Amino acid sequence: MKTVGARQVWAVQEITAAVGRRLEGIPSVWIEAEIQNLRKRGGQVYFTLRDTHQIDGSMRTALFERLAHRPTDGSLVYAYGRVEFWAERAHVSMRIERMEPAGEGVMLAQIEATKDRLAAEGLMSDARKRPLPLVPRRIGLITSAVGAARNDVINNLWSRFPADVVLADVPVQGAAAPQAIVRALGLLNDIPEIDVIIVARGGGPLEDLMAFNDERVCRAVAASRVPVVSAVGHEKDVTVCDLVADRRVSTPTGAAEAVVPDKTVLDAQLADAARGLVRGLVRVRESNAALLANRTLGLVAGLRAADDRATARVATAESRLIPAVRRVADAAALSVPIARERLERATTERYAAVAQRVAANAVLLDVLSPSRTVTRGYAIVRDPSTRRPIVSVGDMPTGADLELEVRDGRADVQVKETHS
Amino acid sequence: MSDAPDQQPTFEQTLARLDEVVARLESGDVGLEEAVRLFEQGQALVATCRERLARAQQRIEELTGQGAPPEGRADEAPF
Repeated sequence: MKTVGARQVWAVQEITAAVGRRLEGIPSVWIEAEIQNLRKRGGQVYFTLRDTHQIDGSMRTALFERLAHRPTDGSLVYAYGRVEFWAERAHVSMRIERMEPAGEGVMLAQIEATKDRLAAEGLMSDARKRPLPLVPRRIGLITSAVGAARNDVINNLWSRFPADVVLADVPVQGAAAPQAIVRALGLLNDIPEIDVIIVARGGGPLEDLMAFNDERVCRAVAASRVPVVSAVGHEKDVTVCDLVADRRVSTPTGAAEAVVPDKTVLDAQLADAARGLVRGLVRVRESNAALLANRTLGLVAGLRAADDRATARVATAESRLIPAVRRVADAAALSVPIARERLERATTERYAAVAQRVAANAVLLDVLSPSRTVTRGYAIVRDPSTRRPIVSVGDMPTGADLELEVRDGRADVQVKETHS
Repeated sequence: MSDAPDQQPTFEQTLARLDEVVARLESGDVGLEEAVRLFEQGQALVATCRERLARAQQRIEELTGQGAPPEGRADEAPF
């Protein structure tokens, strides 16, 4: 500082040094700010810390890299550091040593931590995800009875299928929400015939969806006996509940499609199946009838063939038989006269011989005839009882009655005496 | 319908069986007696499915939470 005329004149560095001295007393503090214009240069990371005002900040790269949740442009952070003054350019900045997510960042960090824990336990594994029933007997719905999601989900369900819904009315945001949701899950799991549970909530800012990132809620969803469909928020709002649920949907329509079939489609499918049964039966019957017809035809053809063969054989046999018979007959016809002739001849010859012998014998007989002997003066003595001729004196005891036959009559005589 | 609904085949099991029966029957690769048996079985399955669908009622029932022991917390949300 020098005096020029009436003025005191400062050098720039005297001013910057003075400012520097004034800033030295500010201790390290936590500030809340949004990170902007994040960039690395050399061993430092540079950024702007901003709310409605802004201040440059820097952090050693080695520290920055070790942060559990490294911020990106737009991240809300709590940063701990001190004011740093670069005298040559009178540049005020923050030298940051620690940095943590703030606001949504805190929530996001919590979500990440929960997600990591549950993932490490395998609760988000695809292998755990159960298929949803095609036609649930009853549907559990966990949502706020006064929220838009309730009607959206139910109307969409009913537009597809006349579903039986058991509604568990819960607050879907705020401090009481997680516990109420956990309890509703438990109650619905105990109700018979509930085959699927929908957890529903409309979209909203992250903090309104935090109940569905709550670890207790997520564990209850994962532990549910009944498959759970998470219908929370919009497409872009992925909650941990979405990740542990058996199915995630992002619209009420999606929830309805996941949980119930389209009844008209199902009815058509059943009608189709019923027609298929009839069609199949008719087809089998027709093919069997065709088989039967084929077999019948085959049978008839076989019979006919057999018949034809038999007929042919008969015809052949007949054709051979008739000439044979004729030959036999002809031969017979031929042999009959011959035989007759031979017979006649034989008979004639025989007859002649016999006649000759008869004649010869007649002569002899006549010579030998007793009657001719009697004619010549001999008598025949007979036993009158037997009329046998007696030829021995032994057969004529004394006193026996005898019959004496001569040429012209008989005489009864008695033996007076015998001599031999 | 039954006291042990969880013992019954699910709708999709019934439907899957029905699809099997229809496919089997439509293949035509079965004997007539088997076909008649499949047809009857299929009809029964169709009837079961239709009966299940017919039983579906469009209704909503609010869970009151009675019967579940409250955890003694005054700030617990009622439902």
